[in-house]
Amino acid sequence: MNDGFGRMRLVGAVFVLLSAAIVYQMIRIQNSEHSRQLVEIFAKTYNQQVRIILPERGNIYDRWGNLLAGNKEVYEVGIAPPQVVNPETVARDLAAVLEVDYYDTLRKAESFRKEGNERYELIKDFVPAEKIRQLEQKLSEYEKAEKPKKGAAPSLSGVYWKPHLIRSYPENELAANVLGFYNYLDRWTGRGMLGLEEQYNNLLAGNKQQIILPLNPTEIQDIPEIPPGASLITSLDRDVQAAMERIIDHAVEANGAESGTLVVMDPKTGEILAMATTPHFNPNEYWRYNEVFPVGSYFNRAIGQLYEPGSVFKVLTMAAAIDAGAVQPETPFVDVGAIEVGGIWIYNWDRGAWGPQDMVGCMQHSLNVCLAWVAQELGPTQFYKYLQDFGIGRYTGIDLAGEQVYPLSLPGDQNWYPVNLGTNSFGQGVAATPIQMITAIAAMANDGKMMAPHVVKAYIQDGVQYSVNPRVIRQVVKPETARTITEMLAFSLENEASNALVEGYRIAGKTGTAEIPGPGGYTNMTNASFVGWGPVDDPRFIVYVWLEKPTSSPWGSVVAAPVFSQAVEELVVLLKIPPDEVRQQLASP
Amino acid sequence: MNQRIIQAYRQAPWRVQLQWIGLFLLMLVGGMLIAGVYLYVSGRAAETGARIKALELEREGLAIRIADMRTQLAWLNSSQVMLGRAEKLGFRPVERDDLVYLPVTGVTGREVVFLAPPPASVQRENKLLRPAYTQSLWDLLYQSAYQFVNTRGGQGQ
Repeated sequence: MNDGFGRMRLVGAVFVLLSAAIVYQMIRIQNSEHSRQLVEIFAKTYNQQVRIILPERGNIYDRWGNLLAGNKEVYEVGIAPPQVVNPETVARDLAAVLEVDYYDTLRKAESFRKEGNERYELIKDFVPAEKIRQLEQKLSEYEKAEKPKKGAAPSLSGVYWKPHLIRSYPENELAANVLGFYNYLDRWTGRGMLGLEEQYNNLLAGNKQQIILPLNPTEIQDIPEIPPGASLITSLDRDVQAAMERIIDHAVEANGAESGTLVVMDPKTGEILAMATTPHFNPNEYWRYNEVFPVGSYFNRAIGQLYEPGSVFKVLTMAAAIDAGAVQPETPFVDVGAIEVGGIWIYNWDRGAWGPQDMVGCMQHSLNVCLAWVAQELGPTQFYKYLQDFGIGRYTGIDLAGEQVYPLSLPGDQNWYPVNLGTNSFGQGVAATPIQMITAIAAMANDGKMMAPHVVKAYIQDGVQYSVNPRVIRQVVKPETARTITEMLAFSLENEASNALVEGYRIAGKTGTAEIPGPGGYTNMTNASFVGWGPVDDPRFIVYVWLEKPTSSPWGSVVAAPVFSQAVEELVVLLKIPPDEVRQQLASP
Repeated sequence: MNQRIIQAYRQAPWRVQLQWIGLFLLMLVGGMLIAGVYLYVSGRAAETGARIKALELEREGLAIRIADMRTQLAWLNSSQVMLGRAEKLGFRPVERDDLVYLPVTGVTGREVVFLAPPPASVQRENKLLRPAYTQSLWDLLYQSAYQFVNTRGGQGQ
């Protein structure tokens, strides 16, 4: 009995020892350095997934919430070779639907079977949603189909598609010169190019994040909610922009001009309501950029092309002279048809002598000789100080990428000569962009306050809308001066029965015709411009028109002024501005 | 005599064995219960984790669809398309002479769009995933016990 009990104990002890040995070995293996490294490698390789999350790019809207730039769903289609059941079906269907090479797709689909390839194989990216619907239909057909008695059943198993977003511009060419574009085909390194897309690229793009997600479902990890990029609400009015683009396109064609630019701004805030330039470009097909804009051409002429503006510049010269007290509107001037400045003779646009004039007459007839005299009366120090205050030779700081500036030659500079005072007074020998000109002249429509031009009116970030407040650059002339200039130019237009006049609305404005310099001096080609604002008693808009090298007529008064008139005709309807008479009646109690 | 007393109060060996077996079984059952709870909780956690992942993927997909739908709507309402539709329906662009202006008290004109609330009126949303889904069983027990003790303490005062 005792012997049996002893043997039992012995067997029990052996088992206990064996169990203890097994447990010890397990603990030893688990804690060995090799095992720790192995676990780490496995954890890194198979236990987690590294994902790069690109936030949705922010939208761009016009001032009324019409979408100008948004995002469209497309798909990336790929194959997981180990999961492919029927490579022939996969290759045939993908080649037919996605228009990819059959043999290349077949090679990828068979790569696991033939080479043991376990890697995901990309078949095609940026596949439109309609194509995916076709694949889904085929997938559903195969699932419903009966299995054939011989051979493998048709199957799309192993084919995967994943949606992502690309940039889309629903208005196509509308406002493309302001929006810029996004090179979405560079999926991971794409960025905004030109216009708003470039200027606000960081804001629109949001913050890309890389996250490591455990594949073990018990290890629940919150995927951080990555907010989309900020959206922009622009000051553009889609309908005004469309109308202005239509008008400038027609004007360029009708006048045989090389290009056209038309900018509409609210002079009280500096908001750009429309900015139309030619040629047009569809940002949805941005890869055609070079076809539309060959080397040396301008994407947005309103901010990027410098030119000698000509007589529209006289507004600034006259404003400076009146503000400084050098002349008054009634100041007499006898025009003899020529004036010598710095040893060089300056003539009027028609080479004629206009006789006794006052300053209103000088502006009305756009007399170069008179304005050169005014600049002399003002003196170079004052004249150039005012020009600098008006922002000539300086960036306006408009929130669009690609603004250009040409430095203003000042007395004492190597490239400044005494004659510059005369020529600069009527906008020759000085280069500016349309945005510089409209910004400076808009001060006349805003009691002398020059507002910073801007396109973004508000932005939405993290679900909150922040407004961008208008910014005053400076009080460049006194309010009385601004009102005097406005009155002088309104009177001038009325007096000469200008092509720019709009029935029912009192408008102030100035034409501009500037000869274009060539290699051997000035050519007979011109830049025809017109700047005007209204209604005179409460300006709601300022419009700048520029036609480059018109062939129908060289004169701003003939080619640019009617374009201005057409633009205002549409503007007053779109902006709901009643005629002066009606407005005054409505205003009176 | 002493030997006899000890013998009288000593448990029979088979009883001692039974006690040990009982104790072992008790521990085994206890251990299995704890393991069962762990298994159940792990299973639920895995299921919930998988669902969360699926929902997160769905959310991502929906965000893409929403963005796409918004853009599709904009395509349908684009300037050119609307102009074409209006012309088809027999409308023509309004001209200056067509307009009649009337004073309407209280109407200030069209306001610039507000697509999101201004800064002051926004309350931040909570995180999507509640902490209960990410904490360990130990954290849950500890936290529950802590809360229980604190609540009891609060009631006692």
